[in-house]
Amino acid sequence: MKIKSPTNGLIVALALCANSLVCQAAMPAAGSPLTTAAMHVAAPAKAVLIDLARAGSRLVAVGERGLVLVSDDNGQSWKQVPVPVSVSLTAVQFADAKHGWAIGHAGVVLATVDGGESWKLQLSGLDAANIELEAARKDLLAVTTAAAVNTSDATAVDEQTLDSTAVDNADLRVQNAERLIADGPDKPFLAIHFTDSKHGLIAGAYGMLLQTNDGGASWQSLVGHVDNPMGVHLYAIAQHGNDWYLAGEQGFVARSSDAGQSFVQLESPYEGSFFTAHVTDDGALVVAGLKGHAFISHDSGQSFELMPVPMPVSFSDSTQLADGRTLLANQAGGLFFSDAKAGAALQMFGKPLGKPVASLVQAADGSVVVAGFTGLLRLAQPSTAVTE
Amino acid sequence: MKSSNSFNASDMADFDPRSGSVLERALFNHRIWVLLVCLITTVVLGFQTSRVELNASFEKMIPTQHPYIANYLDHQRELSGLGNALRIAVANKKGDIYDADYLKTLQQLSDQIYLLPGVDRAYMKSLWTPATRWVAVTEEGLDGGPVIPDEYDGKAQSLAQLRRNVQQSNEIGQLVAFDQRSSIIYVPLLAKTPDGKALDYSVLSEQLEALRAKYSSDSIDIHITGFAKKVGDLIAGLKQIVLFFIVAILITTVVLYWYTRCVRSTLLVVFCSLVAVVWQLGLLPILGYQLDPYSVLVPFLVFAIGMSHGAQKMNGIMQDIGRGMHRVVAARFTFRRLFLAGLTALLCDAVGFAVLMIIKIEVIQDLALIASIGVAVLIFTNLILLPVLLSYVGVSPRAAQLSLKSEQAEQSGQQRHAFWRFLDLFTQRRWASICVAASLALAVFGFMVSEHLSIGDLDAGAPELRPDSRYNRDDAFLTEKYGASSDLFAVMVKTPAGACARYDILNKVDNLDWQLRSLPGVDSTNSLALLNRRMLVGFSEGSAKWYELQNNQAMLNMITASAPRGLYNENCSLLTLYAYLTDHKAATLTRLVDHVEAFSAANNTDEVQFMLAAGSAGIEAATNIVVKQANREMLIWVYAAVILLCLVTFRSWRATVCAVIPLMLTSILCEALMVWLNIGVKVATLPVIALGVGIGVDYALYVMSIMLAHLRRGESLSESYYNALLSTGKVVMLTGVTLAIGVATWILSPIKFQADMGVLLAFMFIWNMVGALILLPALAYFLLPSKVSEQAANTADKPSVNGQPTTKSQTTVDVAPLARSVSPT
Repeated sequence: MKIKSPTNGLIVALALCANSLVCQAAMPAAGSPLTTAAMHVAAPAKAVLIDLARAGSRLVAVGERGLVLVSDDNGQSWKQVPVPVSVSLTAVQFADAKHGWAIGHAGVVLATVDGGESWKLQLSGLDAANIELEAARKDLLAVTTAAAVNTSDATAVDEQTLDSTAVDNADLRVQNAERLIADGPDKPFLAIHFTDSKHGLIAGAYGMLLQTNDGGASWQSLVGHVDNPMGVHLYAIAQHGNDWYLAGEQGFVARSSDAGQSFVQLESPYEGSFFTAHVTDDGALVVAGLKGHAFISHDSGQSFELMPVPMPVSFSDSTQLADGRTLLANQAGGLFFSDAKAGAALQMFGKPLGKPVASLVQAADGSVVVAGFTGLLRLAQPSTAVTE
Repeated sequence: MKSSNSFNASDMADFDPRSGSVLERALFNHRIWVLLVCLITTVVLGFQTSRVELNASFEKMIPTQHPYIANYLDHQRELSGLGNALRIAVANKKGDIYDADYLKTLQQLSDQIYLLPGVDRAYMKSLWTPATRWVAVTEEGLDGGPVIPDEYDGKAQSLAQLRRNVQQSNEIGQLVAFDQRSSIIYVPLLAKTPDGKALDYSVLSEQLEALRAKYSSDSIDIHITGFAKKVGDLIAGLKQIVLFFIVAILITTVVLYWYTRCVRSTLLVVFCSLVAVVWQLGLLPILGYQLDPYSVLVPFLVFAIGMSHGAQKMNGIMQDIGRGMHRVVAARFTFRRLFLAGLTALLCDAVGFAVLMIIKIEVIQDLALIASIGVAVLIFTNLILLPVLLSYVGVSPRAAQLSLKSEQAEQSGQQRHAFWRFLDLFTQRRWASICVAASLALAVFGFMVSEHLSIGDLDAGAPELRPDSRYNRDDAFLTEKYGASSDLFAVMVKTPAGACARYDILNKVDNLDWQLRSLPGVDSTNSLALLNRRMLVGFSEGSAKWYELQNNQAMLNMITASAPRGLYNENCSLLTLYAYLTDHKAATLTRLVDHVEAFSAANNTDEVQFMLAAGSAGIEAATNIVVKQANREMLIWVYAAVILLCLVTFRSWRATVCAVIPLMLTSILCEALMVWLNIGVKVATLPVIALGVGIGVDYALYVMSIMLAHLRRGESLSESYYNALLSTGKVVMLTGVTLAIGVATWILSPIKFQADMGVLLAFMFIWNMVGALILLPALAYFLLPSKVSEQAANTADKPSVNGQPTTKSQTTVDVAPLARSVSPT
């Protein structure tokens, strides 16, 4: 993997240092966040934190400027751990208590094998762009060859049109991939889902989708296998058995029934963006997003039912509680749960927190921890606050 | 009086008016002219005193030459809201701000303030100004508008709309309190009103008080903070200072009378000292100066110094008259004897004050100049006018007799007064050693304590005012309800024109922003980099996953274009990074400055430069740096000047050491006292130690010059010291105690700054006196061995041996090298 050497910046800093009286700190010059380790901060739990995950009984939070925090007391106290990058991290997930991945801006993928104590950079945006470009070129070659064969065969006109559309699409994909490389690593990954310590999918801005079957050692692009002509941002991945779902911008919902190898776009119940997706134990798909729009589908996405909510505020995250209920959080700090017994309508879960929530997770002791722009907050035993 | 004098009071004819120095002849042979000139001067300057103004200026309080302030002043026009501003919190006592009556009052008050002279109207901000906007995310993208909706009508619907807008406006904690029960009118001020005059803080403060009285009610409460209000309150409080001055003058007069029992001479001394104050005050408007809250103490200091010198002159004349001389002759002899000592002391004072000019803070330079003028004036009023006047009016005969009581008692073989005998102990080995050892111990102890002397403000709010003053209560209100955002530290980032949104530059700003937020004492920050993070979230439909400074120039440009003013300037060549601090304590500021300096050292290039500093805390940081440096520098210069002048006067390094060491001890102990009283060194308190040295050197000079003259005549140390005590020493004691009592009354002042000054000055008056009377002879024991052997010195103690009374008045003439040409008859 290619990482730009930070030496240049250091040399400049040292040269300046030699001429400066104020050099006690020997502070390095500000470098690219992709090559600069996250700074250790005094009160990390009050920073902007974006996603939460469980690693066994440990809680892990990720957020702005490469912050990764761990808590071994169910969210009562947090410790910052070293991370080799200082880009914002957007999502984190653990396959088991030890193996986990965090993704973020500039296309970074970080991996841990010790439950989040230490992190290694597995992938960055340029690598991802190269993987996609290679895949796109291979695809283009394949369809062009196929088209050439078809043309020489001089078969039906229909088939020719189809071929030329495929060639056009493949060509466009190559152009897009080339632009990704030209833009540099400025695009984030936004969603992650691993089923075990080997197999996982990561999704990102402009429809980027990569999969790994070796725990992140190598990645393959799935962009060509997703029905996402607009290249919308993919914000969420959900999975239940062999059924995989993607949700994203402008009401995008797609489904895969072949263990995530290819995705077909579903008919969306809403034109606004979805930020979270979740499959319940009984296979029902919940997608939620902009302006308080949440939907549930009991037929693998063939039809959606609105889950009415009293607050027209965007949903940001969802999680499954230990008792099987789905808990949703919105950007005004409102928490809601869906209960199959109570029908589709979402129920308020305690009083709104009054501050935006970006992510939530239930700790081993049943308390719920939320993360957001104002840091972390632990709601001790919230289940007792809810009457059933 | 039985003594045989060579000059008898009755025969002026025996006195040769051509004797004495040129100066003495010029003055005393034309006494009428001297009086006339002084009279005219007093009348002219007396009229001028009515033009003396009491005001302050924000620009004068800051070290304009310091690079940080120079940076700030260079870019002042491009920075909004970083200088002198008022924050007026309008609170609804009965509920929250979403109340039609409250908003109406707020609007009226806001409109009234808008019209006040000196308000920088373009940058004024409140809920009602159009610049206060909200932004929100919708399905279509970003939406926004003024916080108070255009169609606002005070009905429930509008109020609900306002509540929503406020919550989306990012103004909670800035313009709107966290509890949403009060909101702020932010009022930046101009240095000059539109008619070109300097902003009159006293008037502005009164106008604000009038508005406060008008709009305060059982539902509305108004809290005002800011430099202008602080100075306004200080000036209002200082108007009472006149009262304290009068009390101090009365006390001094009464004590002086109690001592002399002579109405004539007491009134003359007070009169001459007051004439000096009149001259000084009269000169201020002519020279284009005004008094400010910090230099208002100077007239009193001039009066105090004048009293000290005047009392010396009067005492000398009184004693000479008591010895039977004619009042004119007495005045001339006293002039001969003490003019040089007095002149040296006053020059020391003047130089001591003038040295303050090296501190590049205008308010201190003004103070230095005003004080120097005052001291220079004293040379005319108290060293010349006073003896001339005394030569006319003389003193009451009874008082003249009284002044020689000790001297006569000694001549008649009585025992010396117990107190003189006590002081005499310090001229002997045992007590001198004890005294020097104790002083050394005190000096070491004092020095160790003074190492903890802090620079800058130690308390929240305005330490010049009492903690329970209205201003400090208002300040505490704002700190509590709005976070501590009144302590604002701004870093300016210079970039190539049009490049302020470039990723590499914003990335540096973003780094510094993040580093500063991790520093203790930094509450929050704001910068264009931070705005980019927030706006990207906004553009991404509010998803927190986009909270990043994205390396995407097109996006950065787009966001910058819609950024509010204040984060970057018009031609996109200057960024401002704001740090809101939890306090303005010296340690917080130092930490911040050191960090930013280190950051800029590592990150400045030809294209991008991080520059300190603007904002109230930035300016204070620069001021602290200047004050800290000046504190030591100033003392070095003051002492250099004092030592030089002492060397010239005494022609003896040993005598100089004896005179200066007690002063140094006082300076050290004064710093220790400041630590103990929790007073930091800042613009307001910086001059006090230099002033203390200036006053203290008077005492040492008067005692040492007489003592030295006797020593040079071969008298023992004990005898010389005793003679000094009887002539000048007892006046030193008198003035030291009197002035200390006078300034000690200031402790009752409503202005804490003045009370602190009272304590410090009283301490220095007393301690300098103690030093001159105890430590000085003790040091002299070791450094100024008498020409007479120890044996002889012991016998000399007996009054009979050296009891030639005629020598008393003559020998002392030796003191003044200027007067040396005059041979004692």
